[in-house]
Amino acid sequence: MRPAPTAAGNTATGNTIVVGMVSSLNGDLKPWGDDSAKGGQLAVEEFNKMNPDGIGGKKIDFRIADSNSKPEQGKSAAEKLMSDGAVAIIGEVASGITAQMAKAAFDKGVPVIAVGATRTDLTDIGTNVFRVCYTDAFQGPVMAKFAYDELSKKKAAIITDIKQPYSVGLSQSFKDAFVKAGGTIVDEESYNSGDTQFSGQLTKVKAANPDVIFMSGYFNETGPLARQARDQGIGMDVPLLGGDGWDSREILNSGGAAILGSFFCNHYNNKETRPEVTDFLKKWKAKYGTEPGTTMGALGYDGTMLTLQSLKAAKGPDSKDLIDALENTENFPGVSGSISLKGMGGSPHKRALVVELTKDGQVFRKAYEWNDIYPATAAPNTP
Amino acid sequence: MTTALHLVAGLDFNTLPQQLVNGLLLGAIYALIALGYTMVYGVLKLINFAHGEVYMLGGYVALFVSYYLGFRPDKVGPTHSSIWNLLIMLVACMVICSLVGVAIERFAYRPMRSHSRIASLITAIGVSLLLQYGGALFLPNSPPPSISELVNPYHGQSKDFTLVAPPASLKATVDSLKPASDLAAANYKSWLDSHPGADTYNLPKDGDALKHAAQDAKGKYEDAQHKLDTGGVRLIIQTGQAVMLISTIVLMGALTYMVLFTKRGRAMRAVSHDFDSASLMGVNVNSIVLFTFILGSSLAGAGAMMTATFLGTPLTTFYGLVPGVKAFTAAVLGGIGNIPGAVLGGLLMGMAENLVVWAGYSNYRDAIAFVVLIIVLLFRPGGLLGSSKVEKV
Repeated sequence: MRPAPTAAGNTATGNTIVVGMVSSLNGDLKPWGDDSAKGGQLAVEEFNKMNPDGIGGKKIDFRIADSNSKPEQGKSAAEKLMSDGAVAIIGEVASGITAQMAKAAFDKGVPVIAVGATRTDLTDIGTNVFRVCYTDAFQGPVMAKFAYDELSKKKAAIITDIKQPYSVGLSQSFKDAFVKAGGTIVDEESYNSGDTQFSGQLTKVKAANPDVIFMSGYFNETGPLARQARDQGIGMDVPLLGGDGWDSREILNSGGAAILGSFFCNHYNNKETRPEVTDFLKKWKAKYGTEPGTTMGALGYDGTMLTLQSLKAAKGPDSKDLIDALENTENFPGVSGSISLKGMGGSPHKRALVVELTKDGQVFRKAYEWNDIYPATAAPNTP
Repeated sequence: MTTALHLVAGLDFNTLPQQLVNGLLLGAIYALIALGYTMVYGVLKLINFAHGEVYMLGGYVALFVSYYLGFRPDKVGPTHSSIWNLLIMLVACMVICSLVGVAIERFAYRPMRSHSRIASLITAIGVSLLLQYGGALFLPNSPPPSISELVNPYHGQSKDFTLVAPPASLKATVDSLKPASDLAAANYKSWLDSHPGADTYNLPKDGDALKHAAQDAKGKYEDAQHKLDTGGVRLIIQTGQAVMLISTIVLMGALTYMVLFTKRGRAMRAVSHDFDSASLMGVNVNSIVLFTFILGSSLAGAGAMMTATFLGTPLTTFYGLVPGVKAFTAAVLGGIGNIPGAVLGGLLMGMAENLVVWAGYSNYRDAIAFVVLIIVLLFRPGGLLGSSKVEKV
């Protein structure tokens, strides 16, 4: 059961409503943080165009603060925004940072709308925590199902970045689902973000003879991991799998030929043909010139748009009413898919896409709906 | 199932030789960076926290030189590289890093030299943060760029040494599984040929069954191959990594020669022994300090060029953070201020890290360095080869 915050939260005063966003504008997660911030700004621009009078005569004052890709700094950025009167905090792209922000916001009674934080138990912090992405309890099983059913792989090795709560949680959910499907986990290794040399771990992985390797960390280390895995003699017949942490153009360069033919789970793909996606891409290109480099562009847009629309639907321009409005979200047409938060405990049942890394970039392979993985109504994260 | 003799107490002795080689390669890089810490400490009694950032800049120099040589990710460049490209990158990294080192010494440390040691230490931390965060404003780090693997003429090449051949029965198993795998693959292919445009990830039932049959047969065959591959005792050494190790040894040899057998080296040792007396004896202390920074920084640049090129790590301005901390630990472990100590400390740490992984505790890989450090410092407070002097308060 998620605890409800007891503090009253912020109420918009004067003729503006302050909406805050915390994003990793510097540090390791910069590519995602930049896209998330750009998506947020695009959403605010769109919303202002549609609502020239603002909400009840109050204009949106959108403020972005930098978390520097660090949990402590994300927390202080959120605290600063809340003391400036933000009625909601949007962000972050990573679970570790969002958890700290959410705890701080819980004490103040301010809602947090996470953009790309997929760690499953994140929304258990309180009823003020929401997200617009799927959870690791979904993408881990998606990749396990894909590996077992589509690739017919039976023996997996798992490599985890133990410094990242995201990676630890994702590895666990993959492991559980893969074992449940009938596969075996032949080896589990770990490393720390920032490491550059993985030959020790990979020598062990090779000795365990896996036929697929799940790498749950972020792309920064995954590229070199892939390269060094092939160098250690792990052949291309052993595909590498990962989660949405792989989503960056750079992985093709840092991984080189070694990463081609690998698969990972993603929220959204620029090549999708749904009208929400084509419309979003048109607006993005008009404003920034290129296509978004990562999915955080779409998720940042969705998170911000959802917050603003809920703010419009809320009884009053304050945190408490906004929490109620967010909780009542049903079938919000997000760029990354439909979002329903009613009775979901903060985590919507989103769809997930499995994409393959090829010479020409990400190629969409298979989409999984929530029901494909959890056919029964019982979901692991419903309260 | 036969009992695996090489598995004693959960340890796989078949992979031990490979792990020792991995440790040696890792340790050599730690040693190369540690030398810079230890030399500066020896001469100035200053822990140069900005050393890791000099290393980071070395990575970026290597990146820019590789761009200049045509190996850009966004356009098609040369597809073959040569050792000359690597040499150009190495020299550029060493030269530019030594210039950076000199600039740091000249503008950040020298003005603080007459002040208390803690002031210099704080300055060092300040320079480190300045380069990390200030660098982020100018250097490409979103998305973090990495050096194209094509610039490495040895990419994908390795030397394979079979120390103990795998049992012959494994080879027989592989051969026996091949026909079934080929047959199933042919069946699936002929189905695909008769159904052009089929989405291989969403097949109708009959195609899906054939696909799975093909995958299962191939999986069995590949698994037998993997077992054959790992059945004996093998040592795989990347040609690139071997080049890296040899270059490291050559650089260390050159350094040893310079410190032990040249006039400047002798002056450097004199300054390290007693800063004030050396200057009274006519040694130009400032030029010796600069010389020390040139040596240390160029080694860091060489190390960065090699890791960035051969290991393929994406560069951010925090690229030097982890290697810097590890190398500093290695320098303290060996006895800070002591040159052979830094090499010993680096190698020891590289080995310790890989042996921990080998023993199955990869989550303690980073911790082991500090555990070894604590144990060594308990018994030898000056480090392995260092001498501990009691400071008068």
